[in-house]
Formats: sequence, structure tokens, C-alpha cells
Amino acid sequence: MLGRGLKRKLSDYEESMAGLSSAFDSSRSLPYPLKRQLVLNMCLTKLQTYKMLVEPNLHRSVLIANTVRQIQEEMRQESNQQPVNICPGIVPSSHSYTGMESSGISLQLPSGISQEESNCCDLRSVEDPIENSLLIVSDDDMSSAISSILKDLDFVEDISPPTCLVPTGDDQPKFPENTGLKLEDDRQDLKGAECVFGSFEISNSTSYLKDLAIDDIFEDIDTSMYDSDFCCPPLMPPRSPSLATEEPLKTFPSCNSSSANNIQICRTDLSELDHIMEILVGS
Amino acid sequence: LAGAGGGNDIQWCFSQVKGAVDDDVAEADIISTVEFNHSGELLATGDKGGRVVIFQQEQENKTQSHSRGEYNVYSTFQSHEPEFDYLKSLEIEEKINKIRWLPQKNAAQFLLSTNDKTIKLWKISERDKRPEGYNLKEEDGRYRDPTTVTTLRVPVFRPMDLMVEASPRRIFANAHTYHINSISINSDYETYLSADDLRINLWHLEITDRSFNIVDIKPANMEELTEVITAAEFHPNSCSTFVYSSSKGTIRLCDMRASALCDRHSKLFEEPEDPSNRSFFSEIISSISDVKFSHSGRYMMTRDYLSVKIWDLNMENRPVETYQVHEYLRSKLCSLYENDCIFDKFECCWNGLDRQVGFCSIFHFSIVMTGSYNNFFRMFDRNTKRDITLEASRENNKPRTVLKPRKVCASGKRKKDEISVDSLDFNKKILHTAWHPKENIIAVATTNNLYIFQDKMN
Repeated sequence: MLGRGLKRKLSDYEESMAGLSSAFDSSRSLPYPLKRQLVLNMCLTKLQTYKMLVEPNLHRSVLIANTVRQIQEEMRQESNQQPVNICPGIVPSSHSYTGMESSGISLQLPSGISQEESNCCDLRSVEDPIENSLLIVSDDDMSSAISSILKDLDFVEDISPPTCLVPTGDDQPKFPENTGLKLEDDRQDLKGAECVFGSFEISNSTSYLKDLAIDDIFEDIDTSMYDSDFCCPPLMPPRSPSLATEEPLKTFPSCNSSSANNIQICRTDLSELDHIMEILVGS
Repeated sequence: LAGAGGGNDIQWCFSQVKGAVDDDVAEADIISTVEFNHSGELLATGDKGGRVVIFQQEQENKTQSHSRGEYNVYSTFQSHEPEFDYLKSLEIEEKINKIRWLPQKNAAQFLLSTNDKTIKLWKISERDKRPEGYNLKEEDGRYRDPTTVTTLRVPVFRPMDLMVEASPRRIFANAHTYHINSISINSDYETYLSADDLRINLWHLEITDRSFNIVDIKPANMEELTEVITAAEFHPNSCSTFVYSSSKGTIRLCDMRASALCDRHSKLFEEPEDPSNRSFFSEIISSISDVKFSHSGRYMMTRDYLSVKIWDLNMENRPVETYQVHEYLRSKLCSLYENDCIFDKFECCWNGLDRQVGFCSIFHFSIVMTGSYNNFFRMFDRNTKRDITLEASRENNKPRTVLKPRKVCASGKRKKDEISVDSLDFNKKILHTAWHPKENIIAVATTNNLYIFQDKMN
């Protein structure tokens, strides 16, 4: 067994996964669809774990999502080619089997992954012990797993290139002329529009949206207005009347714990919040 | 490389090790970056606790001609503190991701250090004199009653014990939504770039309140995201050229003169996949973890999970050389995926001087180095095509004893002194290595220790 990357308490589940991945690596006789299923399950489990984190690692999430997509594509092609759809893996069973952990493994994917067989009509033989421990994952489940993790990674409070930030104080930034960098005008306009929504934030509510099924319910809510990259002409002038911004500034605490550099960001935050509140309240 | 070999071969010897001896590693002590300055006199490390420790090479002792100066602690300071972003309810880690030195212009030294979100320019200066003989202050700092002053004197500078001070000169903040993975100083020494997962920004060292976005690969819809930026570096000679690598194993070379936003690359370096090696993990292991230009700027080196590749900037469709770091792991990818080791980001580096003066001639030697597991690190000699595996460990390491080459037994019968793949310790990884710019001295970081090796001077 290979050493673990990090010290952590191994649950039964994790031990069984480690056992399976060793089997994957060492066994040449594992049928390909089973290997694929195993990898898929591992990917989805990881994605599910990442969703629970406050800040999932974007790099890893993308790599895992791509692996799921790749498997998904393969399975789709297979199901298109064959008139009768076959999927590997069947009803979970608690058989113990030789050569593996005999703790009565029934791999339960975290809630939200459907156990329905959407494509299946023909069942394989139940004799292969490894098959017994793998659950089927439908195409929809894979897609929703990918999209939900990537959606969560979209930091709506996205600081797009801060070219629209008001320079602090009298400091006129003296960018040396000889570098020859010029912002194109249309690019600047785009960023100006983005700045309206640039620092608005919807709280990342993964803490109570653990269930993929719940995500599906919210899918049809249009959050495009809160998307920082959505470029539409602002409903109100980007710089709200100064009265509206000054008042909240006095009562609102500093946005994060770093230095006073952020005061200018907070100011933009507040005018956006103000703006959104007005829309929501409908005044 | 070491042992029986020609005169060109380097024989590496243990020189020093820095850091705690005990096996229980404190999280904050985990080394996260290692970098020599331009002269090689200073060696900086950053750790997970946000600290920077700088070692200085002592001046060569004329009597001890058989070894180069040792590195001793020169300065230690807290570069970054943990922060809490209240809007997003996120902790911002203080871990130092990268340190880059500026070339020395005056008595002080400058370096850039960065965590996930904020880059800081630090000035490290020495103070070895202090003024004494104030008129209005006593020596201990208490103020004197002005009415008691009867004569005036001019304060003079007197020597004092050397004090090294680090002070933050610039703080470049709030330009990155995603985690910063690279910083690179331009050859103009006035600007630098910082790269996160989706964007690259260009800064002027004097200006902290704005940066220019030069690369943005964020899609309009995040669900369409399939690729992230993993590393970026400026060309060593051409101040308008930089490269960035991706999680799909591609490298893009961009020219800032072409347009303000370098979304279109000038060159795209990508090697077609070898169909015989295809697996579920092919894409993951193709993700590039580091990219480094050669000193001449003609080549660049990339590191992915299993190999090191050398690219000629004039050839985009495949690397000119590929070196296998630990091919025996290819059959263990599923287990390495399961325990997340497959996501480990190994760095790589070139040797310092491209040339060495030999007895009768000047010859070019070119060696690249990278880390592996079990505290092993690998070196590949591009001229002789020989490679060597060495181990950074406190055992079996006596000063001036040549390091013994190690060998991993991939399969079959394990010979004496070989280590089997299954006994490798995957918790002991060498991710960060650095090579002195002028001499054959290397710094190798294990989890919480810094090893310094030198070549044996006869």
C-alpha cells in the first residue's frame, strides 16, 4: 500500500477506496469498464468533498472535472454505439470477497448522487466482487457534479483588473511611457461595466447546500445579474450620488482585515450593495 | 554523474542542513519556496507560516580552500500574516508561494514575496553603525533637560553589532481573485508579472494601486472552464516576452507588444499525446507544475508529474528532450490519485553557470534538477545524457563525503541497495530545489529541512 499524502484518520470508506485503487494499479485483469467506474466514483467523491470546503482548489477541481467529462464522453459514445445499453456495476451487496477488505463494503456515494440506473437495461453477472461494490452513476449526475463544483468556484466578488479603481489620494500613477502599454478604449469600457458588479458578492452557501438535488432546484434562478463578467449597461450610473455612499461608509466596518488600501474597494462595494438593495426592494 | 566518471562529472557532497531535527513536522515550518539571489551570496526560503529566512554565505576562508563558505542565518522576518476575508468568509493563507530576488543596485537587497493574494517588496538592509553623542538625548534614549546643555557636539557614527533589517517597501494587493502561483521579474527590472489560476497581471515595482491585466482565461460561464494557468515566467532577455503553462500541458508564449491583452499567444507549445501511455489520468499528469527559461533564453524547461521536458523556443510541436523523473510511478497512478499525491507540484531548475573553464578548454555543461519522493532528487546531464538520483537525508551524510547514488527498483528482483517502489515514502517529497547562479552549490528542501550540497573540490 502506498503511503498516504497527508495524515488523516482513515475511515472504512477511505480504506476501501485505497484497497480498490491498489487493485486498479496491480491487477491487469480488471475489465476496463470496471476500472472506469472506479475512477469515476473516485472523481465524484473528490468533487463532493471539495464542495464541502469553503474554498475548493480550482486547479484540482478542473482536473477532476475534466476526467469526469472524459469518462462521461466515453460512456455516451458507448451507449450510442450499442443498441442495448450495458452498464457495469449493479446493486450494491455486502458480500465479502477474497483478496479485499472484508468489512462488508458497500460503497455509498455521498447523498445526491443518484442510484438510479438511467441508461441500464441489461445487468452484468453479479459474480465479480469488485463490481458488487461500485454504484452506477448516471450521465446527469456527472454533469451536475461538474457544473455545481465549477459554479461554486466562480467567485462573484471577482476583482477584475482594477483599472477602474480610483487612484488613492494625489498619487498620479506614473507608468513609464516607454513600455508602450495602452489600454484599448473598448477594453476600458468593458471593465467599467464590470466594475459595477465587480465587488458584489453572493455568499458562497455551500455549507448548507450539500445535496446535489437541491442545486438542481435552484438551477433555473437567474443569477446572471450578479455575475461580475456579465457586461450590460448599468441600470444606474456607476458612481452613485455621493450622499448614498457616504452614509453607509460610516457604519460599515472594514471589508477585510488587511490594510487601509482596501478602503477604496469598500467604497465601491457599498455603492454596489446599495444599488442591489434598491433593485431587490423595488424602490 | 557522480562516482566513476569523466572529469566533467560533478561529485556532490553534503554540506549543511537547516531546520528542526525531529520527525514531528510543525505545519508552519513546511518550506514552500527556495531561491538564491543573483550573486548566490544569499539564499532565501519561505514557509507555510509566512516567514522568510535568508541565509548568507560566509566569505571564503583563505585557509579552508577545500570548501566554499557556509550559509548562516542572515535575516528572518514575517512576510505575510494570515488574513480573513470577511466578505467571502475565507481565510487567506499566509504561506509564501514564491520569492524572487531583484538584482542588487545599492547596499540594500530587495526581494518580492507572495502568498495567495498579496505580493510584497521587501528591503533588506544592514546597519553596522549608529550615531552616538546626541545633544538632547542620553545614550539610553532618555531626553535631557535642555537647560542642562552647556556645550554642543556633533553626533558621530560608531560601529555596532551588525543588524539586518527587513522592511516592507511596497504592498501589491487586491489584484487577484484566484490564488497566485507565480511571480516573475522582467529583464527591465522595473516591472514584474503575477499569475493566478486564471489571470496574469503586470505591475510596475513603484506602483501599487494598479496593475495591468495581460492574460485572462476565465470563461464567461465558469462551467465551461477546462484549463487553468499553472506557472508563468518572463523571458530572461526579451522584456516583452513571457510564457505561461497550463493544466493541460501546454505552454503559451506571448508578446506584450502584440496587444494589451495577450489572449492570443504568439506560440503554443504542446506535445501530442502518446497513445500507448493513455490512461484516465493522462490529463492530470500532463499538468505542468513549473516552467523555467534557460539562462540564454533559447530553451525552456517544463515539469509535469512524471517528466522534465526541454523545449526549443523555435519548435512548438514537441520538446527537444524529455527526461523521466520517476517512470515507475506510472503503474501506480490510481493509488497516487486516491491519496492526492498526483497533484503534487514539483519545481525544476537549471544549473547556474552555463560554462565552466576546464583545464584546456571552456566547455558548456547543462544539467537540470528536480525533486521526487522519498526525499530523492534527480539530476539530468543534457550533454552526457546521464542521470543520477540522490537523497537528502541526515543519515549517511557526512560533510565532504560524496553522496551515494540511489536507485529505485521498479519491478522484479530488488538488488542490494535498491529501494522498491512500494517502500517509497510519499510523505517525503522534494518539491523545491535551487542551484547557485555561479557555483556548484545546490539547495534542496525536504518538508521542513533545507539541505545544501556542494561539489567536491579537490
